[in-house]
Amino acid sequence: MLAMNLHQLFLADLGPELQLTAETLRQASFAVRRNRNEWLLRQRTRAVIEMIAHTADQWLEPENQFRILALRDGPQETGWSPATLARGLDTFFRSITVESLEALVAQDLGDARRLDDFGAGSAEHRTGRTSLAVGPELLVHLTAGNLPNPALFSIILGLITRSAQIVKCPRDASLLPRLFAHSLAATESKIGACLELVTWSHDEWNARELEDTLFSEAACVTATGSDTMLAEVRPRIPSRTRFIGYGHRMSFGLITKESLSPYSRKRLVRAMADDITAWNQLGCLSPHAYYVEEEASGSAETLAAELADELERREATEPRGTIGLAESALIQSRRSTFALRAAAMASLTERNLNRSLFFDPPATVRLWASTESTAWTVVLNHDARFQPSCLHRFIELKPVRQWSEVLRFAEPFRHQVSTVAVAAPDDRLPEIARQLAHWGVSRICPIGRMQEPPAAWRHDGRPALGDLVTWTDLET
Amino acid sequence: MTQSHLILADQVRTLIRRSLKPENLLDAPEHPAADWERVALNLFALQYETVPAYRLFCNARGRRPEEVRSWLEIPAVPTQAFQELEFTAIAPEARTRVFHSSGTTAQRPSRHFHHAESLALYEESLRPWFAAHLLASEAAFPLGLRPRCLALTPQPASVPHSSLVHMLEVVIQDFGGTGSGFTGCVGGDGAWELGLEATLDALESACADGIPTLVLGTAFLFVHLFDTLSAQGRSFRLPAGSRVMETGGYKGRSRSLPRAELHAAIAQQLGDPKIIPEYGMSELSSQAYESGGRFQFPPWVRIRTLHPETGLDTAEGEPGVLRIHDLANVWSVAALETSDLGRRHGQSFELLGRAAEAEPRGCSRMTL
Repeated sequence: MLAMNLHQLFLADLGPELQLTAETLRQASFAVRRNRNEWLLRQRTRAVIEMIAHTADQWLEPENQFRILALRDGPQETGWSPATLARGLDTFFRSITVESLEALVAQDLGDARRLDDFGAGSAEHRTGRTSLAVGPELLVHLTAGNLPNPALFSIILGLITRSAQIVKCPRDASLLPRLFAHSLAATESKIGACLELVTWSHDEWNARELEDTLFSEAACVTATGSDTMLAEVRPRIPSRTRFIGYGHRMSFGLITKESLSPYSRKRLVRAMADDITAWNQLGCLSPHAYYVEEEASGSAETLAAELADELERREATEPRGTIGLAESALIQSRRSTFALRAAAMASLTERNLNRSLFFDPPATVRLWASTESTAWTVVLNHDARFQPSCLHRFIELKPVRQWSEVLRFAEPFRHQVSTVAVAAPDDRLPEIARQLAHWGVSRICPIGRMQEPPAAWRHDGRPALGDLVTWTDLET
Repeated sequence: MTQSHLILADQVRTLIRRSLKPENLLDAPEHPAADWERVALNLFALQYETVPAYRLFCNARGRRPEEVRSWLEIPAVPTQAFQELEFTAIAPEARTRVFHSSGTTAQRPSRHFHHAESLALYEESLRPWFAAHLLASEAAFPLGLRPRCLALTPQPASVPHSSLVHMLEVVIQDFGGTGSGFTGCVGGDGAWELGLEATLDALESACADGIPTLVLGTAFLFVHLFDTLSAQGRSFRLPAGSRVMETGGYKGRSRSLPRAELHAAIAQQLGDPKIIPEYGMSELSSQAYESGGRFQFPPWVRIRTLHPETGLDTAEGEPGVLRIHDLANVWSVAALETSDLGRRHGQSFELLGRAAEAEPRGCSRMTL
């Protein structure tokens, strides 16, 4: 369907009929490297950033052809409803501006022109040096399929470092990266000549050979995926090639008791629903649970009931969309376990049923769920141990007496946590943030903005752009 | 109460025996639907009365026996609920045996309690269906032959909570010829391991003796076996008529191998025996066997597939969550909802995988 509207610019546009070979990949590497050396390398940072920002700005226009294609064909490939997809893309492209990208370069490299000319910060001045940041000649990205922004942002980073790039997308998640690459090429066709997109699935017979070919051609490889996938890839990268792996992360929210007043609760509930519905929770920055500091018993329950109402309303305006049978079965299975616990606990109190019915008497549970669908689920669970959600708008609220208990309950997942969204009064936030930082959290943000990191955010706590470049020092 | 269970167990036995007539056994004999359903409804009423956790579950769904007119309305308990509640009518002091779900990551395994009577019915259920699939006679496998049965699993005494090993023990006792036995062992971490030397010795003598052999094991034990054989460059040619029963589940114990590859490895390294996959679980008392790509339970078990979004039965051939109604589960709960996805064709099904595999990464440490 898409081929009718999008000309064939990248190898990935040719679809599954194309049987990629290692030789094709070597030729593609040669071509993008040559084009990069001939053209991209000679562009100034400001000019590249303007092209990217212009492209991003175009995506926000309702009549933009790439946006139209994304919203037409995206839901089928990704399962997101057009409304969810549109909101996710808008949030992303709004964050890509000349100002935000220049801020990113300045933050990671010290000055917005460090990729253009030898220059010096004050410390370099004092030691009599100037230096130039140089991007990898060929940057290879192995992207994951859960949501598109990481792949799109990887391409942006590679353009800023003036690298030739080959982006390997999962077979079933190449549409949005391809559309973005086409849109960049529409802004400036030479960008398209420095960029290649390829796709294959890991069970193709020569998948391993294709990957190894890319690794041997690349100066730097970034990979996003499961920890197992990273562990499998890492040892196959040649020692001269830099490897940057982004493993699986999870996030959660933290709501202090001061934020539960009826006045602030209304906004809070909307913000929570924003986080839960953004990309249907599928990103590393999406919440798996909210911890709720509960002073008066029942305040978390009120919050859960209001959140359920809000998610029901969202379903009308921004439906979750269809999900796979296995995902849906898992939601049902979790729901029925919680429902059984809830019923059992209720009968325990009502009829004083023999407690020994349970192997371990469970904590109090309440469940709110969409009817005749798995569209949304809210669980109030007094078992505060952190547990990964089955996602697709399935959220647990966990009451705790005070926030510091949260770190203990989440301890088994300590090294997998990316973002904690916090609702706290100004006088408590600094101390909470300090403790979270020392515990290992790399991003703390307001509730409602979990899936809206600024362009300059430090991915997993590392400078995303800074990690790509190498420096050439000039001593005079 | 006990009396009622025994009466129901007899009704189930009657259904089993009626299917035992050879001409009925494999040609998808449906019991007269009315008989099957009458027993199912009686059993539901009894289980509602005598299994407190089930009563709770049914009440929460607003389904009481007096309102249930069809077996399709009988509430099915998700198998993972066996991890949390005791779904049994057997009083604590009367329990002599408990089967746990396998799987090494679950801190709380499923528990299916048994006593002498329930085990007797379990065994009566397993024998004829096993025999129909694994012992069906062919030229190289004459009727009445007692094959050598090699179970790759540990000994029953070392894994008393495994329903699979109990089943294999019954099989070996009732059907196994000389030289039958178990070759596996339990590792330091409690995981099942291939008893390498014993297995290779047993395979070698099976080949030397020329007696048709049944090799019985889990997929992951076979993978371990084949990794070893490949590393040593060895293979066996089992005698004509030999068969392999492979039962699913890798449970993170070995590299997982696509089924087709596993079966190709079995064919290549064991001399092309007939392969019969088995599907069972600790919460059940009956097993399904595969032939022609489809699993089939015995006639005293009925299956359904339901769409998880709507909770409605899916059409024939359409994927859904597998529900199993096993009448041989007299002392626990007959209607179970699995976490498996399948496509139903009449009363047989293709297994499509587990819902649990869709869990996000990190869920191996799930506390649910």
